[in-house]
Amino acid sequence: MAMFRREIPTAVLSFIGVVILLAFFTTLDIFETIKGVFTSWLPVISATSVGLGLIYMVYAQYMNYQRNKNLNNLIYLVVPLIFFVVFFGTALVVPGNISSDAYQFLYFHIYQNVGGTIYAVMFFTLASSAIRTMRLATKDPSGAIQFRLEAAALMFGGIIYTLRQIPLFQVYLPGITGFGEWIMLVPNVGGGRAAVMAAALGAIVVGIRTLWGKEKTTTEVD
Amino acid sequence: MATARERLAKATRFYQIIWALCLIGMFIPLISPLGLPVVVSEPVKAYYNSIVDLPEGSVIGVSFGASAALLDEQEAQFLATWKTIFEQHHKVIFYCSTEDASIVINNELEVVVPESYGYTYGVDYVILPYSPLGEAGQAAFAQSIRSIYSTDINGDSLDEIPLIKDIDNAEGIDLLIYEYTSCTDIEWAVRQWVVPYNKPVIATTLGCCGPMAAPYYPTQIQGFLSGSGAGTELEVISGNPGPGAAMSDAKNLGILPFLAAIIWMNVKPFIGKEE
Repeated sequence: MAMFRREIPTAVLSFIGVVILLAFFTTLDIFETIKGVFTSWLPVISATSVGLGLIYMVYAQYMNYQRNKNLNNLIYLVVPLIFFVVFFGTALVVPGNISSDAYQFLYFHIYQNVGGTIYAVMFFTLASSAIRTMRLATKDPSGAIQFRLEAAALMFGGIIYTLRQIPLFQVYLPGITGFGEWIMLVPNVGGGRAAVMAAALGAIVVGIRTLWGKEKTTTEVD
Repeated sequence: MATARERLAKATRFYQIIWALCLIGMFIPLISPLGLPVVVSEPVKAYYNSIVDLPEGSVIGVSFGASAALLDEQEAQFLATWKTIFEQHHKVIFYCSTEDASIVINNELEVVVPESYGYTYGVDYVILPYSPLGEAGQAAFAQSIRSIYSTDINGDSLDEIPLIKDIDNAEGIDLLIYEYTSCTDIEWAVRQWVVPYNKPVIATTLGCCGPMAAPYYPTQIQGFLSGSGAGTELEVISGNPGPGAAMSDAKNLGILPFLAAIIWMNVKPFIGKEE
C-alpha cells in the first residue's frame, strides 16, 4: 500500500516536474507541447477537487455531529446543505440557469451580502489587533517601560501609509502623499523583494527535494 | 489587581467603543459628504496610462478573479477600468478565474454597457466562462486559450467568434489586466505572462494586497490598483465618477477613532494607567 500512497505519486510528481522544467530550459517543441497538455489538465483536476471537497466537508460535519449531537453541530451540517440545494437546484432547474432572475436574486441579495458581511466583520478584529500590534510602549513585570522596535517600525510605516490613503490627511497634512508613497515604494519594496527572493530560494530547495522524492509533505499529511 | 477575566472584559469594552466610534465616523460623511479632493498615486497613474497609451483597437485580456463578497472594495476599480477601456475603443477578452467572476462581470456590464460605447459582443469584447485556472491554468491559457476554453460564456465556439477566432495565446494579447483577491497570486501573472512572454501586465486587487504587488512595480507590473482608494483615484484620473468617491469620503472620519486608540495605547503606560 505504501507504494500506492508514496512511491507512485512521487514518481508522477518527479516526472511531471522534470518535463515542465525541460520545457523552460530547452528549445525542443515536444516538451512545450507536453507542458501545455499537463497545464490544461489542471482545470479538470481543480473542478474535480471542488466536488471532492464538498463530499469531504459534508462527511466531516456529519461525523462531527455523530460524535457530539447538539443543535449547533446539526445546524453546521444542515444549513450548508440547504443552501447548496437551493442554489444548485435554482441554477439547474430554473430556465436561464445562473442568468435567471431567481438565481441572480439569491446571488446578489443573499450570497453577496453574507460574504460582504463576513469581510466587514473582519474590520473589527483587524482594527483591534492592529491597535495592539502598534503598541510600542509596554510595561514589563517590574513596572519599567520598554520599547518594541518591530512595533515602532510597523506603527511608523503603517500609520504614514494609512494617512496617505485618506483624503482628509492628503488635504490637511501637506507632504503626507509623497511620504506615504515613498514608504510603499521604497522601504516596502526593499523588504518585499528580499522576502520574495528568500521564498524563491526556499521554493527551489523544496522543488529539488520533491523531484528527488524526499519531500514527504507533497504526498503525505502528518 | 484585576483578574484576567476582568482585564479581558475591560479591553473588550474599550475596543467596542472604538468600533462604535469608527462606525459613526464612517456614517457621518455618507449623510453629509465632505467632498475632499483625492490625490492620484503613481501606481494608479501608471495603470491608467498603460490602458490609454495602447493604440486604439488593441486587445486587452482581463483575467477576472473577482469575488462578490469583496465587491465593496473593488467595484469602483472595475467600473472605472471598464469605462476607461471602452472609451479608448480597445477590444477585450474577459476570462473568469473564480466562481463569482462570470456572474459579477455580467452584472458589471449591465452598469457599464459596452454597447453604449459602440461595442458589439463577439467583435469588440467577449466573455469566457469560469474555469478554475490557478497558476497552471494561467500558464495554459497564455500558451493556448483553446486548451482551457472551447466556447464563450454563451456556449458559442471560439472559432466562430470574430474577436477571438484568430487569437489562441499570449501573442494575440497586447495588455493583461490581472484581477485577483489572494495577495500572493500576483506572482502567477509575473511567472506566467511576464517572464515567458514579456507581456505588459497591470493589476487590480484589494487594499491589503497592494504592498505585495509593489515589489513588482514598475518593472514586471506596470501599474496597479489596490483597494477602494485606488478605485477612487482611477475615477478621478479617468474622469469617470463612480461609487469610489462615497467610500473615500466615509474613510475620512472613520479612521480617526482608530488613530486615537493607537495614540492612547502608547500614551497609557506613561501616565500610569493599567495595561
